[in-house]
Amino acid sequence: MRKFLYCAVAIALAAGIGFSIGPTAEAGKNKALKLGTEAPVADIELKATDGKLHTLASVQGKMGTLIIFSCNSCPWAVKWESRVASIGNEYQDKGFGVIVINSNDPERASEDGFDEMVARAKTLAYEFPYVADSTSRVARAFGASRTPEVFLFNANGKLAYHGAIDDNPSDANAVEAAYLKDALNALISGKAILTTETKALGCGIKYSSDS
Amino acid sequence: MIRYSIVFLLFIVLSCSAPPQNLPDDAGLQLIPATGETVLSAIENANAEVVLVNAWATWCQPCVEEFPDIMAVHQKYKAQGLKLIFVSADFENQSEDALAFLKSQGVDFPTYLKSGKDMAFINTLDPNWSGVLPATWIYDSKGNKRHFWQGKTSRAKFEEKIRDVLTN
Repeated sequence: MRKFLYCAVAIALAAGIGFSIGPTAEAGKNKALKLGTEAPVADIELKATDGKLHTLASVQGKMGTLIIFSCNSCPWAVKWESRVASIGNEYQDKGFGVIVINSNDPERASEDGFDEMVARAKTLAYEFPYVADSTSRVARAFGASRTPEVFLFNANGKLAYHGAIDDNPSDANAVEAAYLKDALNALISGKAILTTETKALGCGIKYSSDS
Repeated sequence: MIRYSIVFLLFIVLSCSAPPQNLPDDAGLQLIPATGETVLSAIENANAEVVLVNAWATWCQPCVEEFPDIMAVHQKYKAQGLKLIFVSADFENQSEDALAFLKSQGVDFPTYLKSGKDMAFINTLDPNWSGVLPATWIYDSKGNKRHFWQGKTSRAKFEEKIRDVLTN
């Protein structure tokens, strides 16, 4: 009888765990990196559309490091991608390290295959690495949940801003709060970033079940 | 007399400006612009045993994929007091697409279309929500949030969580 009860409890626990594990339930499960912390998994090599391998450590800039989780497939990310390109290119020239990470599993989103990433980077004229994190390992380490999602680190390598690019995905000319540019400019001028964390709607990162 | 007039006018203004928050389900398919406060009010005034709130968008593939499961569980549990509140995050110029999709899924009751800035909407509806779509909340008859998750899920999970609120 006791053995039966132990088995029943074990089965119930296993069933409970089973309902909560899986890439479809994972979006947002990991809490995002806290302000003031350093970038995790800084030494993982990631293949970029320029054919080279990069790590988060290797792209660090003197003024800080801008890491954006984005992708090809999310319409929300697509609305912002021109701004990602222009901000990334502009602030790389101003001394920031810039990298855009696609953590979608290409098995779940064919538009996020590597060849498609190469084409998109060329179209957008990215002058910074656009890397594939196809096992979603980096996204998990950051607690990134959606695309696009920004993590901006200061010159000391501490997370200084997290969240949205700005407050208007559909119209760049109607932006009222340019969160990311304001944060970047604050770091340049040595002033405090007024808005350090923001949110926006977006597609959940299509996590791979491989990592 | 003036005081009563002011009160009366205030009542008129407030009544006229209040958003149509609590349209009955038999009011037919509609897509009502809604702030986070509007949706919270709809939840509070749902008068149902279980309220399932789902944030979705036509451009969100996982949202579209799980939608039939939500409609299926609604069919199964509505007699037991399950009410659905759908909130579309489509842009205003996509509202026709949203309506067409809702109709194709058999939705025949009022639903909502997010209005205003994303961050205000997200944080008002739930500060624990990162903004990922889809997102689902389940409330009990007293308006207490009992379950919340982000991302697509299975019909089995929808049913499990609904039954949990119905029976506890």
